[in-house]
Amino acid sequence: MIAIVDYGMGNVASVQKALNFLNLQSIITNDHKLIAESNYIVLPGVGSFKQGMANLKEQKLDELLTKLVINEKKNFLGICLGMQLIAEFGNEPEKCDGLGWIKGEVKKMESNLLRIPQMGWNDIDIKNETYFNGILSRDFYFIHSYHFDVANKNDVSSYVNYGDKLVSSIQRENIFATQFHPEKSQESGLQLLRNYFLNAKS
Amino acid sequence: MLKVRIIPILTFNGLGLVKTKKFSSPRMVGNAVQAARVYNSRGVDELIFLDISASQQNRKINLKLVADVIKECYMPVGIGGGISSIDDINNLLKIGADKVIIKTKALIDKTFIKECVSFFGSQCISISIDAIKNGDDYSIFNKLNLELNLEDFITDMNECHVGEFVVTSVDCDGMMNGFDVNLINRVASKTNIPIIAVGGGGNMTHFNDLFLNSTTEAVGSASIFHFTQYTPLDIKMELQKINKPVRL
Repeated sequence: MIAIVDYGMGNVASVQKALNFLNLQSIITNDHKLIAESNYIVLPGVGSFKQGMANLKEQKLDELLTKLVINEKKNFLGICLGMQLIAEFGNEPEKCDGLGWIKGEVKKMESNLLRIPQMGWNDIDIKNETYFNGILSRDFYFIHSYHFDVANKNDVSSYVNYGDKLVSSIQRENIFATQFHPEKSQESGLQLLRNYFLNAKS
Repeated sequence: MLKVRIIPILTFNGLGLVKTKKFSSPRMVGNAVQAARVYNSRGVDELIFLDISASQQNRKINLKLVADVIKECYMPVGIGGGISSIDDINNLLKIGADKVIIKTKALIDKTFIKECVSFFGSQCISISIDAIKNGDDYSIFNKLNLELNLEDFITDMNECHVGEFVVTSVDCDGMMNGFDVNLINRVASKTNIPIIAVGGGGNMTHFNDLFLNSTTEAVGSASIFHFTQYTPLDIKMELQKINKPVRL
């Protein structure tokens, strides 16, 4: 079973729809027991970092997820805000702590030349092929104004070029996370999700 | 490289899909769910669904219909129409909307827009700018008898840090005679926020003209897809010829 964590930060329906399309059983929940019993944890989310952390803390999901993902090594997929929240720190709207699983800080994107947020399809430069096998197009859908400046480059599984080389996905052990939205990236996104749930092993 | 976006727009009037000309004389153009299904199968970059009479008729958007539209879509969807509370937005996000598009409420309540951005993040909040020519200037078209200057409204919305502007030329709406490139450039010069240019696309030359003569990275269109044989893919193939990055 796949647990899609419901912490009041939108976007859960799209993720489940993509999983349904792939015939993968999932449940949208904030129930600690159900999350603990699942084989995979998906943390989606749109919205501000600080609000996201506050919502997780309010339901003590921060402690639960850290216990399951870091101590028990349960498979974890973070999407968009769900990738950013695993950082040590965020800055939206002001500096605050994240879950701290991956070293680095989520920072505001700054550019005089480019429009912010980055909104639309951009191609990624894949560093770790594990879950990207068989993908026909490297274009994925991005929508973000903050980016995760990852401290340890070995944790980065792909980059996207938007003014600067930005981290577009992270992989370390049982943790995989994407800045882009696989559930909104049509064929490529569905293929990535298929790969992930076929290959990720606890 | 970020690709230019070609975005079909579905406008709904509470009964069915319609296409207007200069924001009036709506013509029925079919079923929203079927249209969404077709656009999904064509792999479009994004889809916009707007209930253009919700605010005017003082009613909420039909969430059941919107849910059915979104069910067909494995690409991003922006939804607008009658949004005036945080709950309205939550309801749309819960059924899978990626962005909401706010118009009327943005004209009268800047504090609300700021609240939306702080709660949902910039990327989630798009603002509709319906501009109408007023001599050499533009004002914001509205049914509230508000006199709003284009530039002033953009300045206000910039301060709210919204995520995107959907800029529609009322004069060009449904006319299929080309985009108001001047309008798009005026908006672009006042903001660093992404813009979707809307209104007037009727043939390939119009799209080339828009992308060659403005910095916009996205275009929204309806009539050309309802009333001609052109598809979003045709437009992309054409834009590729003038070296614009497209997702094929």
